[in-house]
Amino acid sequence: MASSRAGRLRLVVACVATAVILGPILWFWRASLLPDTYDATRMGYPDTGGGLVHGGHGRGKDVSTFLADPSRPADVSITLTARRGSVRLASGRLLDGYTLNGTSPGPTIRAVVGQLVEVTLVNESVPDGVTLHWHGVDVPNAQDGVAGVTQDAVRVGRSYVYRFVAEDAGTYWYHSHQVSHDQVAGGLLGALVITPASTVDGVVALAHTYGGFRTVNGTEGDFAVPAAPGDVVRVRIVNTDNGPVPVWVAGAQYRLVAIDGTDVRGPTDVSNRYVLVTAGGRADLSVTMPAGGSAARVHIGGPTGVLLGSGPIDPIARPSSALDPLAYGTPAALPFDPAAADRVFRYDIGRRPGFLDGRPGMWWTVNGHTYPDLPMFMVAAGDVVRMRISNHSGQVHPMHLHGHHMVVLSRDGVAASGSPWWTDSLNVADGDAYDVAFVADNPGVWMDHCHNLKHAAEGLVVHLMYEGVSTSYTIGGAAGNEPE
Amino acid sequence: MRKVYRVLAYLVAAEVVVQAAAIAWAVAGLGHWVHGGGVFDASVMEDTGGPLPFPEVTGIIVHGINGSAIVPGLAVLLLVFSFFAKVRGGTKWAVAVFVLVAVQAQLGFAAGDLPALGALHGINALLLFSAALWTAVRASAGRSSVVATPEAAEQSVSTAV
Repeated sequence: MASSRAGRLRLVVACVATAVILGPILWFWRASLLPDTYDATRMGYPDTGGGLVHGGHGRGKDVSTFLADPSRPADVSITLTARRGSVRLASGRLLDGYTLNGTSPGPTIRAVVGQLVEVTLVNESVPDGVTLHWHGVDVPNAQDGVAGVTQDAVRVGRSYVYRFVAEDAGTYWYHSHQVSHDQVAGGLLGALVITPASTVDGVVALAHTYGGFRTVNGTEGDFAVPAAPGDVVRVRIVNTDNGPVPVWVAGAQYRLVAIDGTDVRGPTDVSNRYVLVTAGGRADLSVTMPAGGSAARVHIGGPTGVLLGSGPIDPIARPSSALDPLAYGTPAALPFDPAAADRVFRYDIGRRPGFLDGRPGMWWTVNGHTYPDLPMFMVAAGDVVRMRISNHSGQVHPMHLHGHHMVVLSRDGVAASGSPWWTDSLNVADGDAYDVAFVADNPGVWMDHCHNLKHAAEGLVVHLMYEGVSTSYTIGGAAGNEPE
Repeated sequence: MRKVYRVLAYLVAAEVVVQAAAIAWAVAGLGHWVHGGGVFDASVMEDTGGPLPFPEVTGIIVHGINGSAIVPGLAVLLLVFSFFAKVRGGTKWAVAVFVLVAVQAQLGFAAGDLPALGALHGINALLLFSAALWTAVRASAGRSSVVATPEAAEQSVSTAV
């Protein structure tokens, strides 16, 4: 009798212990499941950054109403037809992927400042649907190309027209923002160059890795460009991959003349330093060809590069340290006062074990929360916004803010002392903390996410949201919107 | 219950073997690929589309899925079954396996930041393998040393699955 009572007691204790262990696991698992359809503006919790909130979160003018002047005729018009199929590299190598007008990278779009660019995107055969996001261009919100936030993914047989005014000269790129971790890697992308009227536009060097094969403009190895002795060549490097790429020059003097499409003020010759171009980021190098007629090589990562001129060139090893844009170039006054910020946000990136939509793993956190329970940074038009982006997640994160350019104020407490460092894709290494600032001058709902698109698909995505703006688009649902 | 407990412990030990094999296979494949002219850097490491740069990348994928989901799942199940398995000291050993799995996962993720922890990840794998194997072996049916009293022996025999 005694032993059977002990046995029963033991069973009860075992059941309670099981419940104590499995209960929270099941609860966390269930809580992590995402609904089939959800509104990006209603996920997570509003973070007002110390400012006031007027009106509701997610109510007001629809994002689709933020447009370029619909009555203005286009100055630059192009149709891009997206297909799923084989990508042919310059070497003849065929890889599964996506093309625009039959090629990957897609055609380089060129515009002069002030022109209205009109791009008609046609989806001929991409089963998941497509969009185009104008990476680094501060377009009106309806043109931002984020499936489920600013539009529905363009299904097979459908089309969508993007229209925006090319306001700021610089090097940009475009890519799909529907199932982007697959479609961007698969080649649904291209370069966009906006120049002041009088300038020669230079050479685009779009770096992309196709299934482990690294290319510049679709060429494995060196992409050759003719250049005469004494020429000053502007090389516009675009990193479309998920990891940062170091860039340096052999055989010639060079300067870093623009970061993420904004000119550096007072650039000086760079020696014994490489420039780190983060994922999604751009860097324009100005290379002065040697008077003696020898060639120069812009090393982009290891095996790829741009060969300027002709003749033999000895590659050089990557310099041991990176150029620090924080202290490069000549300082200048900012067009606004970051000290008088209306909102101050914290974007603190970590990592912890848990569930993401039912999947166990180590997932990214923002301010201690995992997707979708993330902060919604609330702003009002005209606000001066400061943000501290810090990273203690063990990996680097290229942080990309849509629709705005941030100026870097300091890193790890060291104030910027060079040219104003404007960026839209900021390499936030593990352990770094950046203070950045921007003016909220482009109403809408804007993603602010990691451009390692694998990380974005793992939930490292928050939004910047203007008061009085809403979106009628949803993630998931009948439209099948899946931005990452 | 005891049998399930034992099988789960063996599975954890077997998974450590799979993990060691998978990652060694991947590293060998990487070396082979680099010697053949491939260059491995962040662009390749973070590439998400198209074919794998070399087939042994599968080893990294297997290691990741096993380590972040399957092995922790087995460790939790082992702990739960230890409550019912009537193995003397069974819960204690299941907790030991569970703690070693948790430490192993943390070391694995933290090694990206601090590579020296990768060495501890390798050493801890051997501890985990030993602990899981011992947990299974000591729970083997008919092991008289496990059962201390005749009363418990009777109970254990009558409830053994």
